[in-house]
Amino acid sequence: MGVFLILKGLRKWSFSILSALLLLGGIGLNLMWPAASVFGEENELESLPSLQELVDQAKPGELIILEEQKYAGPVRIDKPITIDGSKAALVNEQTASAITISAEGVAVRGLRIAQQQGGEELAAVTVQADDFLLQDLRITTRGFGIVLRAADRGILMNNVIAWDSGQQGATRMGEKGNGIDLYDSHENQLEGNRILRMRDGIYLENSMNLNIINNRIAGSRYGIHCMYIDGTQIVGNSGEYNMTGAMVMGVTNVRVAENSFTKQSANVNSQGILLYDVQSSVVEKNIVDGNRVGIYLEMSSGNELMNNSIYRNFVGIQFIDAENNLIHHNDFVANVIEAEARDSGGNQIELNYWDSAQVLDLNGDGVSEIKYAMNPFYAQLVSSDAAYQLFFQSPGINFLSGMYEGERNSWTTDLAPRVSPNMPLSASGTLTEREYISETAFMAIIASILLLTSILTIIYSGGRKS
Amino acid sequence: MSDLLQIARKELKVGFRNPWAYSFLVLFSVFSLCLLLINAQTDISGYSGVTGSMLSLILYLLPLMALFLGSFSLTGEKEEGSWSLLATYPLGTLPFLLGKFAGLAIVLLTIISFGYGLMGVISVLMGQRFEVNTYLLFFLFSCGLVLLFLALALVIGALSRNRWQAMTISVMVWFFAVIGWPAILIALLGFVPYLWIKPLLVMLTLLNPAEFVRLFVVVKLGGGSILGPEYYQWVTWIQGTGGSLWFAALFILWLLSALSIVYAIWERGRTHG
Repeated sequence: MGVFLILKGLRKWSFSILSALLLLGGIGLNLMWPAASVFGEENELESLPSLQELVDQAKPGELIILEEQKYAGPVRIDKPITIDGSKAALVNEQTASAITISAEGVAVRGLRIAQQQGGEELAAVTVQADDFLLQDLRITTRGFGIVLRAADRGILMNNVIAWDSGQQGATRMGEKGNGIDLYDSHENQLEGNRILRMRDGIYLENSMNLNIINNRIAGSRYGIHCMYIDGTQIVGNSGEYNMTGAMVMGVTNVRVAENSFTKQSANVNSQGILLYDVQSSVVEKNIVDGNRVGIYLEMSSGNELMNNSIYRNFVGIQFIDAENNLIHHNDFVANVIEAEARDSGGNQIELNYWDSAQVLDLNGDGVSEIKYAMNPFYAQLVSSDAAYQLFFQSPGINFLSGMYEGERNSWTTDLAPRVSPNMPLSASGTLTEREYISETAFMAIIASILLLTSILTIIYSGGRKS
Repeated sequence: MSDLLQIARKELKVGFRNPWAYSFLVLFSVFSLCLLLINAQTDISGYSGVTGSMLSLILYLLPLMALFLGSFSLTGEKEEGSWSLLATYPLGTLPFLLGKFAGLAIVLLTIISFGYGLMGVISVLMGQRFEVNTYLLFFLFSCGLVLLFLALALVIGALSRNRWQAMTISVMVWFFAVIGWPAILIALLGFVPYLWIKPLLVMLTLLNPAEFVRLFVVVKLGGGSILGPEYYQWVTWIQGTGGSLWFAALFILWLLSALSIVYAIWERGRTHG
């Protein structure tokens, strides 16, 4: 029946994913240096110069440029100074945060930090003052990464934070700390940070008007976890192999845009974007690919979801007690169950692209004249017993669903589905000309070998009279 | 061994003089060009609704083709009396059947190669993008499907007395395995205790060549999350190399058991006249 569908689409996923993987692999390698080899043997630490002494000697406003060597932590910075440590490393073995900032106007740049003790909110960097800058830090930690407490108007930029499993091997997710953890810290800017294998990549609580931009999080529990953060923007972040990409709770007026959350299906509860008790917020231009649930809305109302690309998820979009939301111009491709709703009335669904919809565009405006009502047969079958998921898109299931027409009014319906996808796929996914040519050549060779062999077989064995 | 080769060669020759083979060749070529056109409508790589539709189309046509050609070839032996003649020679049943299988397999694979080759060449000439990975997986999927159903066809051929009977059974098997499968299973599994459903379903799936080959390809195409959390471990496992090996093992086991059934039936027919 697929022949009759009108189908168009986006291009080249695998390559963007591949490149992202390579990139992440690169970061991973970079960060997985054994702590001992970089920071030296442990008995060496006794003789390391203390960074605290340097800080104590400095005058307010001074710039300290660290030499190319290791320093011992912990250090408390209580005056407005700038530390440039792009060649230096700070090793902290004490049960304290490697760096604690308690004065306004402090900047720390380029330092490598190894926080070797974990525990109750022990972090590589703890900030308890306003107007700070943390830039290009490379942190491995056995506790938290960067912790902000009542610290406003700071900038965290291009830092790399990774979990240091040390000699213990694998650590359970719950025992790890968060990558960046904010509480009661307003108007901060988090940009371009990379976070690997932590508990929550970025954890935001009770903080207003934040900018969370272009961060990358992989292998963590929640990529971005936020609670009570009104007026915040979450833009351009990406996450892979986390349990849930972005979990947004108890907020109003938040903008979640241009994020990409992919391949998060390892956990039965994993979602691309989870919105719980979210009001009047905008979720747009996000990419959620290969998750268990693409976008999940619960107890949320008055939100606008548009221009999202929802690909290959088990459930594309799921509403539970979510009313009066506006869902338009999204692309739904290859989701097993495209949309599922429970106790959710008044959601307006229109102008989305569904790859399995039968559409008919008579006047050429790109919008189908017939509604798309999602046949719930398969969803109901699967919810009665998940084992039947093996039948997904089996020819026989198409046949059966086609015969099931009961209570059509109650089906989730797109009033005016679009004929073609709304969003082009990101440019990074397209092939370069050279790759394209080599792939075509390879294809040509294989195809002609197949064709020639078959023709020769036919001529040799059948056509020739012996 | 030389008996086997002789039989295979004869089967190949007869196969390509058979108008059925050519009508299937034309049908499959037209069909593969349709696949190309369908694929042209989507730019989405990896698993998508279009891929699903293409898999379904292949699942409709190829098993039927294999079942007809295979079962007719064996019943033909009986009807035309060439087996009665061959049976008077010191020719073992095993080389005969294996030769038959090999010859027919080559005929069918040639038809598929022709179709896919044509599709590939045309797509390259027209500057059409068809991902190599998907193309090869589809080709392998088709080959696997055809070989498994060919073994099944030989069982049908051995059981049937004439072509009509073979055709009736073939259509029945095809309908059961491809179209009616979920309906029948859902109906039957409704009667068993809840906890038995999944293991039974998995076991039955392994028994249906159309289903397990399809699932393998779907997972390999990267549509693993479509099977949902219930089969998550399966998916990671199939996507690894171990999965391919086990699939190959299952595939061979399937072929061997089907062929040994044919052997038993045929041997019995030989000794009991």
